[in-house]
Amino acid sequence: MTLPDFSLNRRAFLGRAATGIGALALGSLLNPRMLGADLPVEEKWPGVVRPLHWPAKAKRVIHLYMAGGPSHLETWDYKPKLKEMHGKPMPDSFTKGQQIAQLQGKELKCFGPQHDFQKFGQSGQEMCALFPHLGKMADDICIIRSMHTDQINHDPAHTLMNTGSGIPGRPSMGSWLLYGLGSSVDNLPGYVVLTSAGKGGQMQPLAARQWSAGFLPGRFQGVRFHSKGDPVLYLGNPPGTTREDQRGVIDAINSLNARHHAATHDPEVLTHISQYEMAFKMQASVPGLMDVSTEPASALELYGAKPGDGTFASNCLLARRLAERGVRFIQLYHRDWDHHGGIKNDIKLKAGEVDQPAAALLADLKQRGMLDDTLVIFGGEFGRTPMGQGDGRDHHIKGFSIWMAGGGIKGGVTYGATDEFGYAAVENPVHVHDFHATLLHLFGIDHKRLIHRFQGRDYRLTDVHGEVVKAILA
Amino acid sequence: MNYFSSNSERGLLLAAGLLLSALANSAADSVSFNRDIRPILSDKCYACHGPDKNARKGKFRLDLEAEAKARRDEHFPIVSGQPAASGLVKRIFATDPDEVMPPPKSNSQLTPREKELLKQWIAEGAKYEAHWAYLPVTRPTVPSVPGAKSKIENPIDHFLLARQQAAGLTPVAEADRRTLIRRLAFDLTGLPPTAAEVGAFVKSKDAKAYEKLVDRLLDSPRYGERMTVNWLDLVRYADSVGYHGDQIISVWPFRDYVINAFNANVPFDRFTREQLAGDLLTNATPATRIASGYNRLGMMSTEGGIQDKEYLAKYAGDRVRNTSTVWLGATLGCAECHDHKFDPYSTKDFYRFAAFFADLKEKGWYKDGFDKGDWGPQLKAPTPEQQARLDAFDKQIARHTAALAAITDEKLAAGRAAWEAKIRAFDKGQKLTGSNAPAVKAESTAGTKLEVVKDGEILASGPLPAHDDYTVTLPARLEHIAGFKLDVIRDDNLPGNNVSRAGTSFYISEVEVTFTPDKKSRLQPVKISGATADFAEEGHPALATIDGNPRTSWGIGFLPGRSHNTTYTFARTLTGSPDAFFTVRIRHSPDHPRQHLGRFRVSLTAVPADVLTAVQLTGEARKEAHEKTIAKFYRTIAPELEALRSQLNLARAERETLTGKIPVSFVSESTAPRVMRVLARGDWMDDSGEIVESGAPHFLKQIVKPARATRLDLADWMTAPDNPLTARVFVNRLWKMYFGTGLSRNLDDLGAQGEWPQQLDLLDWLSDEFMTGWDVKHLARLMVTSAAYRRSADSTPLLEERDPFNRLLTRQSRHRLDAEFIRDNALAISGLLVEQQGGPSVKPVQPAGYWAYLNFPRREYASDAGDSLHRRGLYTHWQRTFLHPSLLAFDAPTREECTVSRPVSDTPLQALVLLNDPSYIEAARAFAEKILRQGGRGFDKRLAFAFETALARPPKAEEAQVLHDLFEKQWRRYQADKTAARQLLTIEDAPAPKNADPELAAWMQVSRAILNLHETITRE
Repeated sequence: MTLPDFSLNRRAFLGRAATGIGALALGSLLNPRMLGADLPVEEKWPGVVRPLHWPAKAKRVIHLYMAGGPSHLETWDYKPKLKEMHGKPMPDSFTKGQQIAQLQGKELKCFGPQHDFQKFGQSGQEMCALFPHLGKMADDICIIRSMHTDQINHDPAHTLMNTGSGIPGRPSMGSWLLYGLGSSVDNLPGYVVLTSAGKGGQMQPLAARQWSAGFLPGRFQGVRFHSKGDPVLYLGNPPGTTREDQRGVIDAINSLNARHHAATHDPEVLTHISQYEMAFKMQASVPGLMDVSTEPASALELYGAKPGDGTFASNCLLARRLAERGVRFIQLYHRDWDHHGGIKNDIKLKAGEVDQPAAALLADLKQRGMLDDTLVIFGGEFGRTPMGQGDGRDHHIKGFSIWMAGGGIKGGVTYGATDEFGYAAVENPVHVHDFHATLLHLFGIDHKRLIHRFQGRDYRLTDVHGEVVKAILA
Repeated sequence: MNYFSSNSERGLLLAAGLLLSALANSAADSVSFNRDIRPILSDKCYACHGPDKNARKGKFRLDLEAEAKARRDEHFPIVSGQPAASGLVKRIFATDPDEVMPPPKSNSQLTPREKELLKQWIAEGAKYEAHWAYLPVTRPTVPSVPGAKSKIENPIDHFLLARQQAAGLTPVAEADRRTLIRRLAFDLTGLPPTAAEVGAFVKSKDAKAYEKLVDRLLDSPRYGERMTVNWLDLVRYADSVGYHGDQIISVWPFRDYVINAFNANVPFDRFTREQLAGDLLTNATPATRIASGYNRLGMMSTEGGIQDKEYLAKYAGDRVRNTSTVWLGATLGCAECHDHKFDPYSTKDFYRFAAFFADLKEKGWYKDGFDKGDWGPQLKAPTPEQQARLDAFDKQIARHTAALAAITDEKLAAGRAAWEAKIRAFDKGQKLTGSNAPAVKAESTAGTKLEVVKDGEILASGPLPAHDDYTVTLPARLEHIAGFKLDVIRDDNLPGNNVSRAGTSFYISEVEVTFTPDKKSRLQPVKISGATADFAEEGHPALATIDGNPRTSWGIGFLPGRSHNTTYTFARTLTGSPDAFFTVRIRHSPDHPRQHLGRFRVSLTAVPADVLTAVQLTGEARKEAHEKTIAKFYRTIAPELEALRSQLNLARAERETLTGKIPVSFVSESTAPRVMRVLARGDWMDDSGEIVESGAPHFLKQIVKPARATRLDLADWMTAPDNPLTARVFVNRLWKMYFGTGLSRNLDDLGAQGEWPQQLDLLDWLSDEFMTGWDVKHLARLMVTSAAYRRSADSTPLLEERDPFNRLLTRQSRHRLDAEFIRDNALAISGLLVEQQGGPSVKPVQPAGYWAYLNFPRREYASDAGDSLHRRGLYTHWQRTFLHPSLLAFDAPTREECTVSRPVSDTPLQALVLLNDPSYIEAARAFAEKILRQGGRGFDKRLAFAFETALARPPKAEEAQVLHDLFEKQWRRYQADKTAARQLLTIEDAPAPKNADPELAAWMQVSRAILNLHETITRE
């Protein structure tokens, strides 16, 4: 294309910026095609935390979000005592005065773990036997068995897990991270959301609020990629319009906009021009990203993915491709973990869907030397009761498990513990706020110093709480 | 994602204190507590030394003058006039990390300038002032501006010019008329002016042309629509409940109430009373009760396993946040768990405020929300015209029913005897199966693939045309056929609600039947005399499928997807034969594209066995019971009754259909007030807190009343002349609408953390003016007729340097249109816009699968058809958890919470919407057609027309050159590739012109370019 002549505008604009806006804002106002073309992306789109509060261990997150509330008792937290007590009344001392969801007013009976556990790896981490593939990665994984949260229903619990508050309207952790660190990629969104459903029947809804930027500017929001149709909404050109046609239209738009800027000196016009350039880049880069046909058959086999099937396995492979391209926060929602009934079979089904791909992701990252600076998180919004609900379990917030790997986290470690019934986190409890504080810490951010003012108040991802879990840092 | 700064970002920098305005007072000026000192103390000190007693450090508070100046141990923190003797000064200038305040660990550090200001303030006497926003509004004198060379239209200009003169600045000149009419049209109506309107205004010699234009726009019904967009953000209006399954609800009559109220210029105090307490007014009407739906606009949940009490607490908190923000610009919501950190609001104030709403009839857990659509009190409010029609139908139905009853069984005896004889004469020798034979064939008219899968069940697959009819053929091997049954079968493989191929429901407008008795005969139409469904959505009765009216239909609506059926009775019984067959044609509703049957079965029904048995019995064997059985059945087929039966069916179908169109909306209903307690740390499980009564925040004027203060009292209190907040809040927000920034920048917080208004005198003068009559249009007119409003948005280097953020209003501003108006603008420019005020929300085109993560019920978006695709953005269905993606991309809020000021971002996703969203592609085609139709001949004339239409100005030569090049290139390309031209011009739901004209295709690309310009979506 012919580049519009920016020379005059640039001078006029710099004049304005130098007097009015200040040198700090300058960098982010300039068009990369004008000035910053050779700068590293981080320099072009800086975050608000500059410099970092301390050196970062992690550069990106892959969050394997098991939506619906996975049972810790059939995954990462073995409770022989509960097995022994199966069918007997749950001791009143645990449950009295505690918040309960669907079991309100029902008789509370112990419900033993439905699957066996075994020890894996050198570290001998105890994990459910349904996860043999992840078992092979046990020495890279840190299991936290002492998570707890405040929200007992899916919707607010997801909102708390993602934003640090049960009240809608706050930014999600991915948005905070982008806001703090800036983007490290300029032809893809910095925060990408992928979703998969699975084959069970317990599909709890999922709101776009979970990846919303809340009160932060909209450009920090997560962008959901779709497995059907345009991977990013409105990505495809109109019918009968080739990439060259589109280039021609965008050139005309930008050329007229540049002239408009020359007349008005409105810096917003420059922003607008750059967004069209980036949109055009995305139109090429996203399909390339989604096209896994370039992957060797061995990679597909490793993950157990078929191109374009939209499964969790395919999403894990895409997550790795996104990570390679520099996307900062990658969130994979896998739904259908809400096992109020039939937990024995359903959890087996879920394990079958996620075990191999999640392990493949870890192995793949490791083999590429990327696990060191990629934080992988596996977990849901809450856990499930040690008390049975028929042949399933109810929502539970007093104790549950997640695991993390890579990105500055110690491998082969089990941290914290619930009591012998798996009811409450009793040893080294980790609240969602602590989890958030730790996450930011790994990125070189002091969670108490990443703030944004809204409605007269300084907000943080961790609100007024949060302690970094130092013991699990590598 | 990316990554450039925008207005809001510059705001951030400002707020972060990285930038000092060139206008900040020089140290020589005297210090004002409210302007200079409170913001520092509030931001840097109050968190530990402010109103929140639990967070207070060292038992010391700075927000109260007496305490700040009282002796502490051996020193005084503040000694008026003596900085050197003041502990505060020592501490803030200290270098010892243990000594210095704020502590080095804190996020709040004082800048050198702030330290100097605090010192200077103490030196000048350390005078405290009450917070400006809590002092009653007093009308300031309008300042005189001697020697002002700029135009003065009204007092607004006096206030602004006085301040500008003091700063030594001169405002820029008035904008040209083209800019003015476009600015006014967007600001007052949210739509652009037409080229003709621009022309007339530019040419007008009338000295009052501008004022007349303002009046015309304020009188336009579009004004109410424009004002409503912002109001709906504030009160968080949406068409779904928000929590969990985000079920769809009907509350659109509230939206229409707001439009009507703004258009009728309902005084703001009445507007307030009607929304907060429209149900409690002595002269409550359906309209005021619908207005009271305001209290019911918060999010609600039907999620299984939630605790009623917890959600009641959530809803109460939501109401306090909303009402206090909307009317008082107060962040009272911050006091739910602790006393407010910056403002005097206590936790008790929060719960006292919540107690105003304790009388609302509501549930925490709407257990039947999903299954039955029960979300608490609703009002059905038929329009007078609807009521008249309902009454007329009732009369008709009564008349027909009576007429039917008047034809007694005796009068039908002869006909019945003949029918019985026919039945008895039936030749059993044909060896009919006597049982039902499944369908053998199913065809569609528009390409849906239909196959009989098992037992006559038919499965639809393949293409999904917007409109399609199915025809099923089935053998008639029953002896005596009474009618047929249509089973709609749930299939988990079907999308959405599992009962149809799209959306959450199917809609069948008509069923038509033919019968072919044997090989020799022709097919004959069969009249249907009755239809009964096991379930029907309100407004969609089964009878609608036999009324001959394609606009009425049977469907199941937005409820859990289950199998359903309708049984049809023929107007006469038919006899089968080995060769006889039926066809049943199922016509889908044209108003619900794609919501077609996915899995279904059609099966014949026999004349009931007990009737047949009775008919065979004659003489002694036949008893009275047999007679009754036959007589009852015969009445359903008696030809003598057919005319009346048809009329009755028709009246019933129409009445039921009309019932579904009656506006339904949530309303407030008052009941015995719940006990409200202060919840310690906001914990809803803690019942130990103090019981509180409703009341105003303790530091403001109190409501004095022997009985419980109600929502109506709250409304009256908020709009009392001595309430210091309500008018200022509204004036400040309206100012932002017309000038781009509020007089106080923080529209949502007039508290200590808000911004000291740039011109409190002007804000107060306008607030006082507003309170005399609460006349919103008067206020709007004052603002937009001021000389300040009419200025050019172009700046000068001097003004840029001295006042980069234009806080002194020496010029106008540019800002991007809000999401809805970006859409409206494209529709208006292209000529597609359908202007129809009010009514149920509409569903424009949206990408498939966008709703895939909704559940309870599962659903798939089904876009509307026809006019509904081209309504203004404010009528778009507002799904809180998955807002329409092109609105969301342009920063429209989800309305889960109150939004006072939308953030403005510029992202590549927005570029993709304007470039590629089928709605904008369609607009580009329509615009291109309009240009060719109305733009005259030749490129230049046509482009001039296009620019006048989209930008209210002619193109510049260089712009014309760029677009001409684009046009030429595209024209050549589409001439060479007609297929591509046809593809571009083909738009779903809007058939392509017959010949795929390369010229039209090229103009379509030029139109896309124009619709994407920054200037097109910007109000200047």
